[in-house]
Parts: sequence; structure tokens; C-alpha cells
Amino acid sequence: MIVTIISVIFILLGLLFFLGAAVGLIRFPDFYTRTHAAGKGDTLSSLLVILGFAVYQLKDFHGFSHDWPILLVILKLLAVSLFIFLTSPSSTHALMDAGWEDKVEPEIGKGRPNHLNDDCGKF
Amino acid sequence: MLSKVFATIAVVITGGILLYGVSDFPGFGDPHSPANAGVPGQASISQYFITESYGDTKVPNIVTSVLADYRGYDTMFETVVIFAAGMAIFAILRVVGDDSERKPRRKQESSFTNGDHSRIIIGTTCRLLVPVIQLFALYVIAHGHHSPGGGFQGGVILAASFIIIALAENLNSALKRLSETNYLKIACIGILIYAGFGVMCQVLESDFLDYGVLQPILMTDGPEMARSHSMLGVEIGVAFTVTAIMFAIYANLSSRGLLRDGL
Repeated sequence: MIVTIISVIFILLGLLFFLGAAVGLIRFPDFYTRTHAAGKGDTLSSLLVILGFAVYQLKDFHGFSHDWPILLVILKLLAVSLFIFLTSPSSTHALMDAGWEDKVEPEIGKGRPNHLNDDCGKF
Repeated sequence: MLSKVFATIAVVITGGILLYGVSDFPGFGDPHSPANAGVPGQASISQYFITESYGDTKVPNIVTSVLADYRGYDTMFETVVIFAAGMAIFAILRVVGDDSERKPRRKQESSFTNGDHSRIIIGTTCRLLVPVIQLFALYVIAHGHHSPGGGFQGGVILAASFIIIALAENLNSALKRLSETNYLKIACIGILIYAGFGVMCQVLESDFLDYGVLQPILMTDGPEMARSHSMLGVEIGVAFTVTAIMFAIYANLSSRGLLRDGL
């Protein structure tokens, strides 16, 4: 019972971050912030949802002698989350890098400091 | 312009004939169609596959047993179609011996992380992931009997790992790992493996691709296990061809047939 509650909490948190990523993707002003929202929110929410699944698998776990296949399932789920943890941010990075090389201009609000011509902005 | 008109006419006629042919098909999932209900006096073919395929071949995945055994002849020519597609791309796009047209855009980098600092993240990620992807591809190929997968899917995953290397660094470093001569050789070897299993059955005085007679060669418990093992061999042949041709198509398309620089 307590395991189910914990897993539901994880999955609901993940869905909340998914919602945030989706809202950010639509509402943010330019390419970079939108990609940022998609990359950050997607990674964390996928991780939380998969962790919720992994915790839910523990529901039927009573001892190592009978239920070790469940640990195998959990291991596979953790491997999936590790894969997402590696690929999702670096694909977002690749997307942003491609946009930067393609000279997509970021949108800078009025009165905000503009660092585009500083040293760190050059490539 | 005129060629487009003719192409449109050809497409419309071909599509019309195909749609006309579809109208003769039984409805989707129709329980009274010949495939599901059988013809009078005989059990249906799908019923046979569901009930008998495990006893015939000792392969739990019915899709694989149908694909690689019952209709293995068809699958062999599916592989040949992929091979022919690769050869067509090669014949149309490949430019041989023309070095003057384009100079290399970037200096060639010796490893994933050398040079441009913005490539460190992508290079490191790919270096971490490519072995895992290749291992998973081999699993998909070898486990096609028991779970979804097989030669085509595993071959595509294996080719994707080489394409990732080409994307993360450049085409040359992918070609260093799977060169043009090698991928053409591998594509041919794949089909030869498949056809070789068929010819071997003929040598042992049976039908083409009738794997059961390979039992003395494969030293299995019975003709059923020989069929199971032969399916694995055939899947490996398919995987060879698919891997090589997918990578060949990417390499030729991304470099306009020059096999230099890439994207």
C-alpha cells in the first residue's frame, strides 16, 4: 500500500513536470528558452515517471528467493532512465548548438544585460 | 514540367489499380475470410500457425517462425530488395575519383573530443552510448526467436550506431570503422549466408530453405531445433545486409556520393 502511494506520488510529480515542459514549449518567447523548457522538463519528468514504475514493481516483492525477477525488471527500468538521463540533455544541447551555429538570435528583453558580444558569446 | 505531368499520371494509375485491388480483400479481422476460417474441408492457415508452429520449429515467437521459416523464400528476396536499394543508391550517387570538386570543410579530428570545444558533450555522450547501442542491436538480432526483433530491426539499430558516429564527429571517422569495401562485402556476405542455408538444404536432398534436414550438420536434438538454429543463422545474414546497406545509404546521401565530410 505504502509502495503504491509512493509510486503514484512519483508519477504525478513527473506528470506535473511534463505539464510544465509543455506549457514552457508553447509560452516561452524564443528558440533557446523553448528548447530549455523541453529539455529540462522532459528529462526530469521521464525520470520521475520511470522511477514511479520501478517503485511500483516493489509491490509484489517479498523475498530474494522467489521474487528476484522483479529486481531484474527494476534494473531494466533504471537502465532506461539512465539512458534518458544521458541522451535527452545532450540531444537538447546538440539542438541548441545547431541553432547557435545557424545564428538564431535569442530574444532579449528591454533593460536586460546583453552578453552576446562578450568573449563568452563568441565561438 | 511535362515529366511531372507524366509522373502524376503514372502515380494516379498505379494508385487506382492498387486501390481497386484492395476492394477484393476480405475485411480487416473478418472471421469468415479464408485466412481466418479456412476453406471448406481444411483448417485455416492462421489456426495452423498458432497451434502448430511451436511444435514445428521450437520458436515461441510465431512472427519470427513465419517470417524466417514458413515464408523464408519471401524474406530472402526482401533482403535482396534492400540490397538492390543500396546498389541503386551506390550507382546513382557515388562519385569516384573526383577530388577537386570540394575541399574538406573541417580539419579532420583524430578523436571524438579533440578540436572544437562545443563538440565535447556530444562526442562524449556518443562514445558512451555507441557500445551500448551495438550490444543491444546484437541482443535484438539474437533474441528474435523469443521477443520482438530479428535481423531487420537489429541491423537497423546496428547501422544507427555507425550513423551516430558519423553525426557526432564526421563521416570519415565512421568510415574508418566500417569502410566502403567492407560494407559492400558485408552486404554481399549477408545474402550469401541466407542463400547458403537454402542451398545447403538442397545439397542434403531436400527443398530450398527446408531447414529440418540440416540437423546432422548443426548437431541438434531433432529437426525442430535445426529449424530454430537455422532461423538464427538466417537472421544474422539479414542483419549483415541491412546494417551495411543502411550505413551505405546514409554515407552516400549525406556526402553526395563523395564519401567525404558528411553533414
